[in-house]
Amino acid sequence: MNDLLFLTWVRSTGLNIAIGIFLLGVLWRLFEIYSLGRKTDLSAPRHAPGASGLHTVFRRSLPPPGMLKRSPVSYIGGYIFHIGLAIVVFLFVPHILLVTNLTGLSWPGLPSQFVDLAAVVTMAAMIVVLVDRINKPAKRFLSTFEDWFTWAVTFLPVLTGWMAVQHLLLPYTLMLALHILSVEILLVVLPFTKLFHAFTLFGSRWYNGRANGHKGVPV
Amino acid sequence: MSLDAIPIRIVDLPSGGGDRSAGLTGNARPLLHELSASVQRLLDTGDTTTIDLSALPLTPADLDWLRDKLGEGEIAMTLQAGGESTLSETACPGIWWVTHRNAQGVETSQFIEVAFVPELARAHPEDVAIGRESLEHLISDLE
Amino acid sequence: MQGPLIDTLARQGISRRTFLKYCATLASMMALPPAAGRAMAEAMAAARRPSVIWLPFQECTGCTESITRSHAPSLEGMIFDLISLDYQETLMAAAGHQAEEARLNAMKENKGKYLLIVDGSIPLGIDGAYSCIGGRSNVDILKEAAEGCAAIVAMGSCASYGGIPKANPNPTGAVSVSDIIKDKPIVNIPGCPPIPAVMTGVLAHYLSFGTLPELDDKGRPKAFYGETIHDRCYRRPFYDQGKFAKTFDDAGARQGWCLFELGCKGPVTHNACATTKWNGGTSWPVESGHGCLGCSEPDFWDAGGFYKALSMPADPLKFVAAASVAGAAAGVAVSVANRGKKSAAKSAHEPTTLTDLEKSS
Repeated sequence: MNDLLFLTWVRSTGLNIAIGIFLLGVLWRLFEIYSLGRKTDLSAPRHAPGASGLHTVFRRSLPPPGMLKRSPVSYIGGYIFHIGLAIVVFLFVPHILLVTNLTGLSWPGLPSQFVDLAAVVTMAAMIVVLVDRINKPAKRFLSTFEDWFTWAVTFLPVLTGWMAVQHLLLPYTLMLALHILSVEILLVVLPFTKLFHAFTLFGSRWYNGRANGHKGVPV
Repeated sequence: MSLDAIPIRIVDLPSGGGDRSAGLTGNARPLLHELSASVQRLLDTGDTTTIDLSALPLTPADLDWLRDKLGEGEIAMTLQAGGESTLSETACPGIWWVTHRNAQGVETSQFIEVAFVPELARAHPEDVAIGRESLEHLISDLE
Repeated sequence: MQGPLIDTLARQGISRRTFLKYCATLASMMALPPAAGRAMAEAMAAARRPSVIWLPFQECTGCTESITRSHAPSLEGMIFDLISLDYQETLMAAAGHQAEEARLNAMKENKGKYLLIVDGSIPLGIDGAYSCIGGRSNVDILKEAAEGCAAIVAMGSCASYGGIPKANPNPTGAVSVSDIIKDKPIVNIPGCPPIPAVMTGVLAHYLSFGTLPELDDKGRPKAFYGETIHDRCYRRPFYDQGKFAKTFDDAGARQGWCLFELGCKGPVTHNACATTKWNGGTSWPVESGHGCLGCSEPDFWDAGGFYKALSMPADPLKFVAAASVAGAAAGVAVSVANRGKKSAAKSAHEPTTLTDLEKSS
């Protein structure tokens, strides 16, 4: 297979399969999770300030008191790489062009130098978080294959994308093909691993906040 | 229809107005250093060097820039062989600008040759021998 | 067979300098160092004319059109001075059985020594009946002619990789020469059409060194296909600076900026257009303001549209609706199953009292 055939495959068949599996998995799991439901809480609702679904959605985005000091790497590293990923994925002009090409939607992007910096910072933060996971005995003990695997499939698209833009190691088009392939792997894996938190995060926070809010407990 | 009627500005036109640096890539500059080294080698060892200009990523504007910088020397040769070729010395003796054209007058290749005399200008011994033969014939015919 | 080539040339009034100049240009086109031009001139001057048989199969004659526009040297020069072209349907005076006889004679007389040129793909559908010459299928003629040849030159993308006839859905079952012939050296000269000078260059190499030039993993001579269009493109500096034309008539296009975003396939296309150019060195697609189509690569016809940037999806998404429906259906099915499980658990629920617990302890 030459560069053109490989690139053509990831641009057509591969992309079709990946997006197909992604949509199938996401819809399947969303339907499954949100149809589970819970028994109605028949007790009289108690009211406490700051105890509601919406409160929890926001509160959980901030570290609980004292936790930032105890585990700064998880919090600061986590913030940086999540925000960095969002910038790189959604505000890089070629990515917006891709979405426009597929769906017709478009929005303004950021200058590529800034996105380039964001990519480097994101990768650095991800590496720091990984090293922390390896170094801390408790974290290492709690880590399963899925944790290492999802880290890798998240990291590779950023790395290959950045290398393609910077023209490092391989010819641009081959690196681009590898970048697209790595994103396709991420798309396939996302609905079936813990990466699905991208979709369930706010829903589950809302649920927990509401259930506890009914009992008058702000969580 | 003249070319002016088409709304395209030719940025590489050497004598044209407008922004003259538009088509320049900066790739021609390093060539001057290479030429300097080649000339030194010619002086030291007598080894000649040929640089194939069509093999380098140079825009027409780059070539014009290079030609302009190297300047015109005292000798310019024209070779009529399957189309016209020009072998002209630049302002730096020993550096020759060689342009080959085909019978239709289209440029087919362009070289910079670093030599005391460009290779194509020398006569091949076999050809000289053949030439002498026909000269002998001429002399015997006259007698 | 006649004497050394240089004598033949001299008799035709072609001087040594003309020949040297030709070799210098040829070496430049083949991206060989300038010194190789001299070596080629010496070797070729002493070479003898090989017999060449040219077989046309499922093709459009574009390859022949291209070679007849070969400027350096001219076609006449090529045919009469460098090679002995014994069979070429389009160009030969003979026709019908006479022509076929010329082919068979050349094959017999030069057995094991003649060079076979093929243009066009070979259809294998319905026993090769899609393309026949003199009542015989292409695949038959190819096998017969290949048996006694020294080497095969697959001329053009069709002969090299199947080309347009092989494009999806490939109605005739078209294949390339190398899909059929496995036991002969084959050199692919892809392109739609291929560059005439590349053809000339390969023949010149064969004449000067007696072998086919070094080939890449796609069977193409490295001398011409070793680098991509992009590597040798004079617009490459603009690509490196991130200056792209966004439409065919914007300010960037007028400044001669890179055509990558307009669908140029230069970065993945191996060919020599950027150095040899077309029409006797007049211009080439990118110089004329149009992106490269990638015509010298296998299956270029199915590479997702000529005007789509290489970084864009090749086709509109296909499985979106089906996948969404399937996903939703699976989700609903699983939730129904979960509800069933839940209600089953509910109905199987038995209350436990304190006495029950005391009893069991």
